[in-house]
Amino acid sequence: MTRILVVDDEAQIRAALARALDARGYEVDTAADGEEALDRVATGSPDVVVLDLNMPVMGGLEVTRRIRAWSSVPILVLSVRDEEPDKISALDLGADDYLTKPFGVGELLARVRALLRRTDAAAEKAPPVFRMGSVEIDMGAHRVSRAQEPVHLTKTEWALLESFVAASGKLLTHRWLLEHVWGDGYGDDVEVLRVFVSQLRKKIEPDPQRPRAIITEPGVGYRWSVRPVAEGA
Amino acid sequence: MRRGPGGDGSRARGRAYPQVMGMTRVVDLLREPARPKRRTAGYVIALVGPALLVLVFLPFREDLQPLTIGFAFLIVVVAAAAVGQLGPGILASIVGFIVFNFFFLPPYDSFVIARAEHVVALFVFLGLSVLISALLARAVERADAAEAREAEIRTLQELSRDLVVQGPGEETYRSLLENLVESFGFEAGALLLQEEGIGLVEKLSVGAPAGSLSPSWNPADPGRPPERLPLSVGNRNLGLIVLAGPRAPLSASESRVLRAVSDQLALVLERDRLLRTATDAEIFRQTDRVRRNMLAAVSHDLRSPLAAIKASVTDLMDPEVERNDTQRDEVLRTIDAETDRLDALVANLLDMSRIEAGVLEARPESVDLLELVTAEVDSACTRWPGIRIASQIDGDHAIVEADPVFVARVLSNLLDNAAKAALRTGHPDIEVRVGRHGDGVAVRLIDHGDGLDPLAREQLFYPFYRLEERTSKLGPGLGLAIARGFVDMMGGELWVEDTPGGGATFAFSLPAAVRS
Repeated sequence: MTRILVVDDEAQIRAALARALDARGYEVDTAADGEEALDRVATGSPDVVVLDLNMPVMGGLEVTRRIRAWSSVPILVLSVRDEEPDKISALDLGADDYLTKPFGVGELLARVRALLRRTDAAAEKAPPVFRMGSVEIDMGAHRVSRAQEPVHLTKTEWALLESFVAASGKLLTHRWLLEHVWGDGYGDDVEVLRVFVSQLRKKIEPDPQRPRAIITEPGVGYRWSVRPVAEGA
Repeated sequence: MRRGPGGDGSRARGRAYPQVMGMTRVVDLLREPARPKRRTAGYVIALVGPALLVLVFLPFREDLQPLTIGFAFLIVVVAAAAVGQLGPGILASIVGFIVFNFFFLPPYDSFVIARAEHVVALFVFLGLSVLISALLARAVERADAAEAREAEIRTLQELSRDLVVQGPGEETYRSLLENLVESFGFEAGALLLQEEGIGLVEKLSVGAPAGSLSPSWNPADPGRPPERLPLSVGNRNLGLIVLAGPRAPLSASESRVLRAVSDQLALVLERDRLLRTATDAEIFRQTDRVRRNMLAAVSHDLRSPLAAIKASVTDLMDPEVERNDTQRDEVLRTIDAETDRLDALVANLLDMSRIEAGVLEARPESVDLLELVTAEVDSACTRWPGIRIASQIDGDHAIVEADPVFVARVLSNLLDNAAKAALRTGHPDIEVRVGRHGDGVAVRLIDHGDGLDPLAREQLFYPFYRLEERTSKLGPGLGLAIARGFVDMMGGELWVEDTPGGGATFAFSLPAAVRS
């Protein structure tokens, strides 16, 4: 059974989330502060951590930092609207996604499923194939085609695409992408990233104006949101 | 000077009195010194001195050298010049010249001079006398001038000491004005300041009824026009000092001192104005900070119940989840409780803004606390199911003069805070005590929670000041601030004590109802 750890200092939010997740067949564990959260992650080995950013004593940022020191459990950060800088810091520190309070249970469950899928996919290791309309992306064969015609991707575009696919469903911050694809010291060149993402979208999105694969999270980063087709190449 | 019956004023004068005494002496020096008297004395010496010398030396004029007698006349010249300066010195020279020639240069008792060397001696005497008179006169004049300057500076120092030593404020200006009026022999004085958009406004006056001293002067008025000292710094005209009274026109040195004093006062006024501006800016900055903290805290406190409600509602809306009645009931109860919490918060915020805007007004009436407290305790018990509240009410001292709506809000806010503290620490017992307190009635809410940290104590008085940005939550601040605002409006007091054995006791007092 999938186990989810809910960390929030507000008792009624813990209770509401626990009830909703429980009703959908997840096993729920809760923690009311940072210390307790670290404890539960260590002893309960949850599959996903839902973590509130704004907590007294030890905030969500610090909890993320400490969890990442020894665990790669997916972390979904909860924040309110005016905590953008904290949210981005949390993602840079290794959180996988975020949700802004208040949110619907449906959205929370979708994000949780996406995070769980990512760990499953990583476990499978088979190079995925994506198909969107007339566009087909075969990561294993290193090939992209549009209406049967091969599309050429530059080295950087490939690196970018691979970063996205490898972290499918995870929200990647501008800084992380820049440092991962371009290297250290490029972390602030958000414009460069924007140009390359736009080029990549023209090549791989069926409708580059309405991207389906590379989703923009305004002010934060991008997320790969297409699921691979079942057949592997 | 004995003006005005005011207790304050006499205290101020009492402090200023010794200085004024010292100053009166100093200012006397400023009034044209005793020069005319000394001049007359000089002339007397110039006339009487030679006559005395004639009387003394006449019997021996045959035995003495004319030169010796000439030296004696020189002494008279020096004395006359030293006492009466140039005029008497010259007079003594001329008189000496004539008398010396007439009585002591042979042939005697005539202006004829027999020997050429005596002619030389006589004119050397005249030249020397005039030279000495001139030199002495200049020296004395310089000494006088230096003394006068020193007197001016001392007067100025005395007058401006208050400005420098005392803090900014009307008291300082008043004591300066009193000193000016008194030490310069005026009768009344007023300080008029330039107010933006209005013009000159009288700030304070001494020795005359407020507003009676006009800066403009009616030429038909038999008295002298009042002295007007403009106060200005750079191009800014700050106002005017008006001094009136039956006294001689100001001497040059008095005007100089008064001008210097008014310049200093102008600088001090400008300093005080800038100080006020700086203080206002600081207050604004802090208010702004408090507002930002409060906004963050309010948005957090509003979103938390909203988040729980939204999660619960979307949970219920999902048709795919199987749920029994108990589970459905639980979700609904969460929504209900969170809606109440939101409502209470919104009510508190509205109250707070009404208190701050000053639009709320207490409508005191006779209120029986026995009834009111019991009702509030009952409703708190339903709001906080895990809490046990015991009340102990002295029925003889439970009728107060208060606004029942306000009292209810104060009680529910304090009960909520106590309940939260109790739940947080797992000591679910709360006590409410009502009893006599001085002339009034006090209500005490006693919890056995974790007590008050110093921060919370401070928050009681400055509810949002210390809110940290990272954990921006209102905490008990808002409810306490409102309770305090309400109690204040009803003429009571709100305070906090430590509960013996741990926990906090919040108490407030209300005036007892007047028995009709």
